This record gives sequence, structure tokens and C-alpha cells, in this order.
Amino acid sequence: MFKRAAIFFLIAALPLFAHAYTSPGKPTGFVNDFAGMLTGEERVMLESKLAAFEKETSNELAVVTIPNLGGDTVENYAVKLFEEWKIGKAKKDNGVLLLVSRDDRKVRIEVGYGLEGALTDAQSYWIIHDVITPNFKEGKYYAGLDGAATNIIAATRGEYVPSSSPQKEATTSLFLEYWYFIPLAFMWLASILGRSKSWWMGGVAGGIAGIVVGVIYGFLFSGIVAIAALIPLGLLFDFVVSRSYNRYATGGGPIPWWIGGGRNGPGSGGSFGGFGGFGGGRSGGGGSSGNW
Amino acid sequence: MKNKTLWIVLAVAVVVGLYVWSGYNGFVGKNEAVNNQWAQVEAQYQRRFDLIPNLVESVKGAMKQEQAVFGAIADARTKYGGAVGVDAKVAAANQMEGALSRLLVVMENYPQLTSSENVKTLMVQLEGTENRVSVERQRFNDLVRDLNTAIKRFPSNLIAGAFGFNERAYFEAVKGAENAPKVNF
Repeated sequence: MFKRAAIFFLIAALPLFAHAYTSPGKPTGFVNDFAGMLTGEERVMLESKLAAFEKETSNELAVVTIPNLGGDTVENYAVKLFEEWKIGKAKKDNGVLLLVSRDDRKVRIEVGYGLEGALTDAQSYWIIHDVITPNFKEGKYYAGLDGAATNIIAATRGEYVPSSSPQKEATTSLFLEYWYFIPLAFMWLASILGRSKSWWMGGVAGGIAGIVVGVIYGFLFSGIVAIAALIPLGLLFDFVVSRSYNRYATGGGPIPWWIGGGRNGPGSGGSFGGFGGFGGGRSGGGGSSGNW
Repeated sequence: MKNKTLWIVLAVAVVVGLYVWSGYNGFVGKNEAVNNQWAQVEAQYQRRFDLIPNLVESVKGAMKQEQAVFGAIADARTKYGGAVGVDAKVAAANQMEGALSRLLVVMENYPQLTSSENVKTLMVQLEGTENRVSVERQRFNDLVRDLNTAIKRFPSNLIAGAFGFNERAYFEAVKGAENAPKVNF
């Protein structure tokens, strides 16, 4: 059981490693100091500034420091990180990534699609050139990052009115993000349905799943098709697992691997602690790069 | 016994039907994603072409003896304007890329130009556009790879064959043009 579960989780985790660049990890807030360039106090001050900015305008500004780029270009790294973290709100694409690579002495401001009009490439360049580079040359990392944040915030002012419920938008793509938990749900269903002697429950479960599909896709047609298809599927499923569980319960046959404890639901992905994660924004290579 | 066989046949038919249904819709979606991404690439090309005249205008006066470069840029620009179809547009865009990087190299011989704030801003914009083009192109290729893999892979290749979904061509950049022209100030 555990072996199979371990293998399954390995497969489920594979899509995360599909990029050529190596991810620095999950975001823990708006400030992610992977390279340790800020003191704890500075981190907290910058974080509260960016959190207030997000609350007021719904724009998401992420400040990230990494030890090195691992041979990648700063432009490519920024695009990939932006893609992975989805900085900015979905649809609005109003995110900005300020990326610093400590050992390469490279910095990039990557601008989401929605802010390209307000924070232009030229403005990004001047922010790097006039604020970040001179401060970083003197080792004043906090002054450089804080000053850059102030300027970026000033540049983006007025581009978006804060929406009344910015949190809601992230949930639309949740289903696509967590598709690999579906087999887990199957295992859970199997262990419940298998233990019940009857197998009409599977038909009911199939019908409910069909209704859910209809609701998600919002079409009457696909809902009816899904219900019609999933009821017999559910019956068959329950029939098979019930029989196989019966055989196991009466002493014959091998232990079905799906029998489990039935409590191994998906682990929650929300271990951010206060920070709710970024909202699903995209970028397309806008912004500017520099070094110090 | 007969009843059970009937159930199994029915279930298999349902599963196959569902698979063909979702497979077909998957191909439609992938194809549209490729088309949409191509539009993104073209939008960035257009952006580049809109920027270039500004840059050319602001440096032309100081670079009177470099008419060949300006001629090549104007030529590529006309070609892009008249290009119909993906291949012709890609060819014209590549030609423009070549002429542009030559201009940027030549400009380095004019320090009074590159220190001007106006020219610098234009060059930063151009650099940003080049980066955007390369990002959108890369995404285009990713989507084409996604589609082409599904078309080749068993058993989805059966659905692709039955409904006539064809492989799409990758975006092949000219050699050495994958990197945005480097601008040194």
C-alpha cells in the first residue's frame, strides 16, 4: 500500500519538474529571500508594504532573491518563475516580479501582461539603473529593493481599481491544478463502496458525479451525457470492487491494494500561513534587466 | 451470465465513446491554443515594427554614413507589411532581426548617441520587445509540441487520424537570432 502510494505521489509530482530551470521553491509571501540578502526585520517591513499594496490595488509585487541562476539567463529564469508562481490576479495579470540573483549580480523586473502599459520597459530600466544598481553597489540591498518597490508602486498607481473580492478568482482553475488527486478520490470511493455489500450505491455516486460535471461545464447537454455515462460506470465500478472486497473478506483472494484506511485524502497545499498564494497572473517577457 | 456480458460490453462502449469525445475536444482545444499563441507572436512582431521607426528617426541624423543599415531595415519592414501567411511573416521578421542587430552594433561606434536618454529609452524598449518575442515564440513551440505529441502518441493518434488533425510546424528561429541583441550602454 505504502509503496504504491509513494510511487503514485512521485508520478503526481512529476509535472512540477518539467521545466528546464530549477524552481527555488514555493512562495512564502510577497518577499522571498532565498539568498538571505535581507535581515528578518527588513523582510517584515518590505512584506507589510507589499501586502498593503496588494490589499489596496490588488496588484501583486513579488520580491525574490536567489543565490544563483544555475547557468540560466535572468530573463528566462524570471519568465519561468513567473509562470510557476502565477504572480498577479487571474485575468488581470497584474503581477510584477523583482528578481535578484546574488552571485550573478543580475536583477530583473518582469512585468505581467496587465501592467505593461503602466510599468513600461523603459521605466523598469530606469528603476534598476537609478535605484537598484547604485544601492546594491554599496551593499545596501534593503535600500535598493525598498526604493525599487516604492517606484514600482508609484508607476502602477491608478492602473487598476481594487476589486471587491480579489480572493475568489483563484479558485476557477483549481480543478485543473489538482487533477491528479482524482485517482485518490477513486481509491477512497472504492474502499467505501467495496465495504458496502450492495452495489446500487455506485450508480448513485456515478449520477452525482454526472451532475457535478454538468454543473462545472454548465451545459445541459454535457450534464445529461455525463449522467447517462457515469451511472452505469459507477454501477460497474461498485460491482467490481464489492466482489473483490467480498472475496478478500471471506478469506480467499489477495488483499485489494485500494482497500486502505480510507482516510488518505489529498494533503492540503495551503501551508503558507497568512499568505494565500499568488492569484494566477501571467507575464510575457515585459520589463527590463540589469546588473550591479 | 448473459446479463453480465451485456453489462461489460455496454461499459466498454461507454468508456470508448467518452474517450473519443474528450480526445476530439482535446485536439480542438490544443489546435486553438496554437492559433492563439501565434497571434501573440504576431502582436509582438507588430510592436517591434511600430517601435523601429522611432528609433531610426532619432539616430538617423547622427549616422548619415550608415545608409545601408537603414535601407535594410526599411526593406525588411516593407516585406513584413506585404507578407501573407506564417512562413512569409517569419522570414520577414527574421530579416528584420538581422538588420536590427546590425544597427545596434553600428550604434556602439557613436557614444554620443547611446548616452542620449531618448535613444537609450528606445533601445530599452526594443530590447524588451525582443525578449517578449522570444518568450511568446517559446510558448508557441511548447504548445505545438503538446499538440504534435498527442497526434503521434497511441491511442490518441487514432482520433487525430480519424478527424484529420495534422501536426503543426515549429517556429524555427534563424541561427544566432535566439538571443535578443545585446545592448551595452
